Amino acid sequence: MSNHDDYVKINIGPSHPAMHGTLRVVAYTDGETIVEADPEIGYLHRGVEKLGEHLSYHQFIPITDRLNYCSAICNNVSYEMAVEKLMGVSVPEKAQLVRIIMMELARIADHQVCIGILGVDLGAFTPFFYLIIQREEIYEIFEHYNGARLTNTFGRIGGVEADLPADFEQRWKKLKEGIARANDETDKLLTHNRIWMDRTIGVTAFSPEDALAWGFTGPCLRACGVKRDLRKDEPYYMYSSFDFEVPVGKYGDVFDRYMVRMREMEESVKIIDQALKLYKEMPSDAPLMAKVPKIIKPPAGEVYSAIESPNGELGFFIKSDGSDKPYRIKIRPPCYMIYQAFPEMVKGEMIADLIACLSSLNIIAGELDR
Amino acid sequence: MNDLIITLIKVVFIWVWVLLIAVVMTWVERRGAAMIQDRPGPNRAGPFGLLQPLADGIKLFTKEDIIPAKAKKLLFILGPILFSLPAFSAYAVVPFGDKIVLGGKEIILQVADVNVGFLYIVALGSMAVYGIVVGGWASNNKYSILGGLRATAQLISYEVPWGLALLAIVLVYGTFSLREISLAQQGTFLGILPNWGVFKQPLGFILFIVAAYAEANRVPFDLPEAESEIVSGYHTEYGSMRLGLYLFGEYVNLCTLSALMVTFFFGAWHLPYIDMASFLGPISYGIASFLVFFLKVSFFLWLFVWVRWTVPRFRYDQVMGLGWKALIPLGLLNLFLTALAIQLTI
Amino acid sequence: MAKPVVEKRYKLSEQVYLWELIKGMGLTWKHFIFNVKASFRPEPHTIPTCWQYPEDRRPIAPNFRGAHMLMLDEEGREKCVGCGMCAKICPANCITVENAKVPEGEEGKYAGKTYSKTFTIDWLRCIFCGFCEENCPKGALMLGPEYELARYIPEECMADKSMLLANFHKAKQEGKLRPPREPVPVVGAAAKSGEEKPAASADEKGEKPAAKPKAAVKAKPKAAK
Repeated sequence: MSNHDDYVKINIGPSHPAMHGTLRVVAYTDGETIVEADPEIGYLHRGVEKLGEHLSYHQFIPITDRLNYCSAICNNVSYEMAVEKLMGVSVPEKAQLVRIIMMELARIADHQVCIGILGVDLGAFTPFFYLIIQREEIYEIFEHYNGARLTNTFGRIGGVEADLPADFEQRWKKLKEGIARANDETDKLLTHNRIWMDRTIGVTAFSPEDALAWGFTGPCLRACGVKRDLRKDEPYYMYSSFDFEVPVGKYGDVFDRYMVRMREMEESVKIIDQALKLYKEMPSDAPLMAKVPKIIKPPAGEVYSAIESPNGELGFFIKSDGSDKPYRIKIRPPCYMIYQAFPEMVKGEMIADLIACLSSLNIIAGELDR
Repeated sequence: MNDLIITLIKVVFIWVWVLLIAVVMTWVERRGAAMIQDRPGPNRAGPFGLLQPLADGIKLFTKEDIIPAKAKKLLFILGPILFSLPAFSAYAVVPFGDKIVLGGKEIILQVADVNVGFLYIVALGSMAVYGIVVGGWASNNKYSILGGLRATAQLISYEVPWGLALLAIVLVYGTFSLREISLAQQGTFLGILPNWGVFKQPLGFILFIVAAYAEANRVPFDLPEAESEIVSGYHTEYGSMRLGLYLFGEYVNLCTLSALMVTFFFGAWHLPYIDMASFLGPISYGIASFLVFFLKVSFFLWLFVWVRWTVPRFRYDQVMGLGWKALIPLGLLNLFLTALAIQLTI
Repeated sequence: MAKPVVEKRYKLSEQVYLWELIKGMGLTWKHFIFNVKASFRPEPHTIPTCWQYPEDRRPIAPNFRGAHMLMLDEEGREKCVGCGMCAKICPANCITVENAKVPEGEEGKYAGKTYSKTFTIDWLRCIFCGFCEENCPKGALMLGPEYELARYIPEECMADKSMLLANFHKAKQEGKLRPPREPVPVVGAAAKSGEEKPAASADEKGEKPAAKPKAAVKAKPKAAK
């Protein structure tokens, strides 16, 4: 852009009601229209990758909680998967099922927060509460599983640390109804509301070519109409044996992202139902841990493994030199790639759209800045 | 002399009444929102949290009064006053009941029966924007100025459909006086419907209520203070009692607008199909008419809260689009149809 | 880099704003009525979402990871032998253990031959991951139900032995002590040797007989299916 002086510079963030975590966008505006938006990252940089070099393989698991704190379990599992792949350990089937169930619950929780916050940022407060109440139930399940609600430290390398709680099925039945009800209510309050449609349809639309070129993954990519889901395309664990659909949007605008997330929750419910059925068929003393040594020393080598986290492809690259600490850990967070395209997306839109776009992309600062 | 005292009593009464409503409204808003959102809301101060507004007031009064270093000091102080004053003043011409007979003297329940009360209301309605713009400008903050600008555009745009809807009412009742408009809404028309403005002007009522929401800066038109976009809009830099005045002024504004809605469209103090004057004594009739009016106002106040916690917020250009492309043409159409109907029937 | 053009196709009911708005208001009204009714009921916690915190507390899960406790065995002896495994596994480096031989004449106080002379957990650093509990070979350290850990003075967050023991006594008094976590079954055979991590806690399972038979009873009928 030629001359910034012609425009009003507005600092949105790092402390602003709509900046989730600590993001900062320097927006140059012409009236309310954004001429250029310049996102600044790093306010929540904690050196997670460097920390990993000083911690043993097990000790890094709690640190991964702090990446995408809305769905800590997915981060844990993604990291554990990478280490297991490096060690050549295969996780017992029952542990896989437990992981799948927990991951899908985390996905639902993540989407609920995302949609709720999107509503709040667009001025509709009430759906947030209806959704967050159900998230509370999910957190209750997490708490009964291993004692923590947000930073779960779920799973251990080689398996999981505990069996599903005894009252899980009962809780899940209740929760399933709750999720369906909350989604239905959100749908009633938002989806067909003209105000909501005006605010979201066509706002920051993105073409699939662009999305692929920018490295989009997850719901944001699927909203653009690209049917890519690691659970289907590169199935890990037992995802290939489950029957679920990959919802896709058409234009990649805020509305499509919202709808994709809404429908993904329904698919997650389906997956959990199927996984629970398989889980119940397993004998109760089926192994939950693979045989791994107490001190984990993977052979020297490199590995990259990724899962479909609620935000997209969450990958861990681990280089090992054969010692008990990783030589290097590189995290591929989905947010980072998506946030790169943010200036491109909001150019020419209005300030209110910038907020809506940011919420719908579900940028989590912990994951972005690491 | 006697008249002056009576007027003064009425002024004090209406002043206290409006203040009381505004105070209670802060409680209703918070508890109502909480109930809608499946949470209890403020329930610690007093029974059912009823003393919460008092606690809020004490908090606002005792907070440090900060004027930003680079703010325009005079205007910064003037802003909240300019905002809340017109809202109070508008009540001067709103009839809050029919009449009460005390000691053989007939007292009209209205501070001033101005024969151009309608014009007075419209004029004061446009005054409110100054408070917002001045406050936003004087704060010397980009968010504030954005809020102020949004408010200017929005309030000025929505005054037009607001006025158009009221004009149609004036056409129907053939008077500018609010008391006469209220009196004219007694009885029924077409045999079954109450003789209320809303039945004679259904489109006009929808226009009026939408425009009223925009005038009051309430969701879905709360763009001037859109919290998630421009932090708090025009009162971002305000604190302590100055902020309190802004918030308070908003509720007084709501109260005024609800009273107008009742006066123009919902038959003021009249009950449908029942003529209270025919079976009530002169004093009890006065009180009853006030209570009926108050009940109707309460409903519209609650409606403000109810809608606020149901819908999302518009975007700036959509608000303008709705105002200029939908409401104003509809208002003109409504006016035209009303004029036509009156011409044909007379 | 052109943005795709989005066509907006609204149904009539969506186009007029009011219809969907009224439907939405119907929904919020239902919630409103439900909650108003609920809030008039005399018992606390009638609106199921919110807990009136200091009076009315959320029941926490039995295996909640809260403040640490140093466990005593049935005879009131400290289980901790001061081996420092907890300090070793701690990702946040917040545990300091000083090991010493049990002094003569105090054998009745400690279960092992050695004990922890000092045992400090820095709650300002702790992330409550629960690894210390999992790694403890004696089941001597557990994360308890206490979650109100905010203090005014940083020094009070350095939990020393007396605080950790006090936590244990408090939890015991309130009946919130739980059996130690059951080790999960490992691929291969049933856990027998001490070389695997989950099996490391197998001996604590032996100490608490309540856990084992229960698991065995549960296991049998299902295995038979």
